[in-house]
This record gives sequence, structure tokens and C-alpha cells, in this order.
Amino acid sequence: MSRTITLIEAIKEAFQDEMRRDEDVFLVGQDVRGGIFPHTKGLVEEFGPDRILDTPIAESGMYGVAMGAAQEGLRPIVDFMFGGFSYVTFSEATVSTGQYYFLHGSQRPLPLVMTAGVGTGQRLANDHAMSIHGTFAHHPGLKVAMPSTPYDAKGLFKAAIRDDNPVVIPWHMGIMMERGEVPEDDYVVPLGKADVKRVGSDVTVLANSLQLKHALGVAEKLDGELSVEVIDPRSFVPFDLETVLTSLEKTNRLVVVDEDWESGGFAATVSARVMEQGFDLLDAPVLRVTLPNIPVPGGYMEEYVAPNPERIEAAIREVCA
Amino acid sequence: MNLSDNQVNVLMRNLIRARHFDEMMVRRMMQGRLIGFYHPAEGHLAPGVGACSFLNRDDNMNPHHRGHGMPHMLSKNIPMHTYLAEHTGKATGCCEGRSAFHFSFPDDKVYQMSGFIGHNFAPSVGWAWAAKRRGQGQVVMNCSGDGSYGQGRAHEAMLMAANWKLPMVFLCENNGMSIFASASEMHPTENVSSLASGFDMPAVVVDGQDVFAVAEAVLEAIERARTGGGPTFVEAKCLRFREHDIGTPDLEGWEDRSDEALAHMREREPVRVATERVLAEGLMTQDQIDALNEEALAEVADVEAFADESPIARPPVAELEAAVFAGGSSS
Repeated sequence: MSRTITLIEAIKEAFQDEMRRDEDVFLVGQDVRGGIFPHTKGLVEEFGPDRILDTPIAESGMYGVAMGAAQEGLRPIVDFMFGGFSYVTFSEATVSTGQYYFLHGSQRPLPLVMTAGVGTGQRLANDHAMSIHGTFAHHPGLKVAMPSTPYDAKGLFKAAIRDDNPVVIPWHMGIMMERGEVPEDDYVVPLGKADVKRVGSDVTVLANSLQLKHALGVAEKLDGELSVEVIDPRSFVPFDLETVLTSLEKTNRLVVVDEDWESGGFAATVSARVMEQGFDLLDAPVLRVTLPNIPVPGGYMEEYVAPNPERIEAAIREVCA
Repeated sequence: MNLSDNQVNVLMRNLIRARHFDEMMVRRMMQGRLIGFYHPAEGHLAPGVGACSFLNRDDNMNPHHRGHGMPHMLSKNIPMHTYLAEHTGKATGCCEGRSAFHFSFPDDKVYQMSGFIGHNFAPSVGWAWAAKRRGQGQVVMNCSGDGSYGQGRAHEAMLMAANWKLPMVFLCENNGMSIFASASEMHPTENVSSLASGFDMPAVVVDGQDVFAVAEAVLEAIERARTGGGPTFVEAKCLRFREHDIGTPDLEGWEDRSDEALAHMREREPVRVATERVLAEGLMTQDQIDALNEEALAEVADVEAFADESPIARPPVAELEAAVFAGGSSS
């Protein structure tokens, strides 16, 4: 049975399903009991304050509950509230967590999910608006994914919670109220599998989350003039390069849209890998649509930096020129 | 003292083992036969031995970096063979030679020895939270130095441990120095344990040169933790006889430590302090102590032979790439 729900409701369903299925799954964060975002609201009534755990405003200590509990065999979900807040416990969340399994001789896995709201569109600036997927993807040992639709949200979060590795899975505040068909039945969207969200033949656009919505809108607008294939990576680590290369065999042109800063970002990694492994497929240089390397401003100036449909359309036209 | 004959014997045995292992590590470091660096534990042996000799196998423990956690781990009955093999980059090491000194013995509930000072505090809270949730009486022995209490993480962990009455012991091994800087300059109070009063956490200061005094204080703290009484702060005031790590100058602030001060410290060498006590109180004989020394030297020789005979860990890169994720997923 399938019905239409919002992306944030889909995340909540994933939490509920997995906590009912597995006693070891629990949620730790700040004000998650009261539900500062809707995906945790009301969970405490079913699961109690020991599994929907509020901590003081002490991100390292809060993260430590998750990390230590995961070492002890539990399966925590740690909710940073806003993605930027993960930087307060950055060394634990990246280095200590990502290296744990490998450095120690691959003895014990560290099953742990990190989540947070991210993204532009709310004019919140900087610490409340930045993306984190690229930064976490830089650190070995962490899987990273981000949902674009309610269906993917439920399936990716379930996959993340069941994975034996640390998984960073932020969600974009700009699409939290987007609605879509979501099965009530159990399913997962496997980590590491991209999804062709729209089939086309002239150009491939790789985009995720709010930017996927923008890209699909542009593709629709250009319909009849240019045939745009739109791929959602869904996972950044592991990254499904194969699906992109397969698309490029047909289109020979690639635009990567990424709501992150340009320098050292995910879009740069994709561009480099395509050049290394698919150079002969390209008829034009890969173009990136990203945030320029300035801090995300608040207020109305946010629109100066955030990728948007106009910039995506311009890049598509340029790569096809 | 409030310790059984058996407890006295165990402490004496582990203290003597720790001293011989420390001497061996220093020797190997200076011979170039140890990977990385070594932070000698001479003088600073009693807190780890006193705190960890009576832990159960399923109690969590975070070792202090001095002695690279060796006094703590051998006291918790962790086999030293795979420890030294790891520290010599051998395939038989506890982490397959990947970690240098970042040991992990998960079956013995020693998950990590982070190179970030103070990164023990946050996961310690998680171990203790999990222990409380299970309700089977495990405790967390969280050992680190005076310097680590500069970290905000220490304060966060104390806050949460006190809030939730977690089964934890905060053992502050206060040797009065960070690398060069004096604790008296880095902390505004005479005792680091003064911090505990801000969290309504019981605290005690003990002579960290006296392994029996440390053990008595820690056993009381462990009992409180096991029976739901929450965390305790135990500050063991101890002494560091040598430089921070082999090869760095031995400074206090920016000047050499004085020979006089060091000679004075050495009068309180922990094995000497313990020996004088057990002999004076008639708890052990010199023959028994001599036998412990012989046993320990034989153990050290055996451990060294194991490490030396083991092959160097140099697996192909593909093997490492496949070892990043559980389940072998690629990046």
C-alpha cells in the first residue's frame, strides 16, 4: 500500500519502522523529544525518553553517546539538528568515526547514523545553511547519502540504519514538505545506487535534493528544445559512477549541480573521476554549478550564491553549445 | 591497608610488570626498534595499575597515553604479545599493524587509544550510557591526564555522567605537567578534581605514587558506580621522571627541569614506595618480590621474541582499500 506523504514524514516513518524492528536502534540529539523538526515529533510517546534521548547542548558529549553506544553494539541515530552543528564535534564525527574500523584492524564495525537538516532557501546564513555532504565525503570510512524524494528518504534512511558502517545522511530543508508516493511496506533504497530521475539524450545533469528539483524543472522547461537526462546520485559515498558513465555514452555532456562550495567539493570529485575514467565519452568539458567560495550570506543575498534554475539552465546551454 | 593479601599481590605483580615493560619500551625506542614514539611511564606507573587491576573483563577502560596505555592494559589482563607486535608494525599486532600506538582490544573493552588528547571523554559517556541501559553492572574506567581536563569534552562528559548518574570513574592522573607546561599554570585550582564539585560529583585526591592508595580509592569509586551511585572523580597526584616522549628535551615551561628536583622525585619511585610498604607492613617478603621480578623479565623476553619473530605488516593496497568499510564496500 502506498500513499502520499512529505519527505520529513517519510524520514519519521523510517525511524519508527527501524526502532520497532530493532531494539538496539535509538535516537540521540538536542530537543528531539519535543521535535524541533517534525521527523522526531511524537516519537518519545512510543519509544520513551531512553530511546529518544535529549542531551545538554554539548555536541561532543552528545556525539559521544552515539559513538560509544555503537562501539557497545547498539545502533544509534545522532541528530545534529542543523548540519553546521556537526562541526562542533567534527574530529569525533569524521576522524575518530571514519578511522575506527580500518585503523583497528577491521575488528569491529561502527554502525551509526548521523543526520541533520541542511541547505539554502531559508535565508538563515552560514552555520544554519551550509551543506555537509561534501566535507564528510572527504573523510574515509564514512558513507554519505542524501534523499531527494519521500520514497528515497524512507528507503535510504532504512538502509543507513541497517548498514554496519557510519552513515552521514543529511536532508534538505528546502524540500522537507515535498510530497510523494511512499509504500507502507518495508523496503530499502540501497546505498551506492544512483537513480535516473528523467531520461534524456542530449545532456546529463547530475543533481541531488533541492537542486534535483530545480534540474527537473529546467529539463521540463527545455523539453522539445534539448533532451535532458537527470540523474540523482542519492549516495555520495559509495558513488555510483557507473550510472553516470552509462548516461554519458548516450549524451556525451555533463553538468554537475552541487549545493556545496566549489573548492574541494563533490562536484570536483565527479568531474575528475569522469575525466579519468570517461574522457573519451565527453564532447565538452564537464561544467559545475556550485556555490562560489564565499560564506553563505543570510537575508536576501542568499540568492546570489545558491544554485538555482537559471544557473542550471545556463550551464546546460553552455555545455550543449 | 584495606586490601586483601591477594589484592596486594596482584598490585605488586602488575606494578613490577609495568616497570619492566616500560624499561623495555624505552630501550627499544632508543634502539630504533619501536614504531613511532614512546611516552615513558617511569615514575608514573601506579595510577594505571591501581585503577585497572581489579576491573572485570567486561568493564570499559580508556588508557592514559603515558606508557602508551601499557600499565593499564597489562593490569586489565590484556596480552602484551599483540600489543608489542602492533607497536613494532607487525602483522600479528592487535590491529594488524595498522595503528602504530592506537591500540584496540574490543573483546577486553578497550576500544581505542586516541591520539587526540581528551577524545576519551565523549565515547566514555556512550560506553557508560550503554552499560546503564543494559543494567548488568559494568563500569567505565576513564583514565587520562591533568592536561586532558583542559578539553571542553571533559566538562561535557562530567556534566552528562553526573546528570544521568552513569557508572563511571574519572581517573585524573595528575603528574603536574603537560608536555612542558605545568598544571599549576594551566589550571586555576590546586586540584583538578575541584571541577567535580560543579557537578555534585564525589571527588577524592590520592597519592599517585602509592599503588595501594590508588587502588583503595578506585575500588570505592567502582563500588559506587556498580551499585547505581553514579560517577566519582579520583585524582592521583603522580610524578613524571622523564621527558614527555623519548627524544624531546625535559623542560618545565621553557627551562630544563633541575637535577635536584628529579633526584628528589626519584625517592618516590612507585615500585620502591610499594616495596617499602609491603615489607614494613609484613605483607610480602623480599623473596616473593624477587620472584615477581624474574617472572616479569621472562614475560617481557617472551613478548619481545613474539614481536621480533612476527612478519612486518605490508599488505597490498587493495587489501587496505577493501578494509575501510565493514562489508567491503568501495568509496
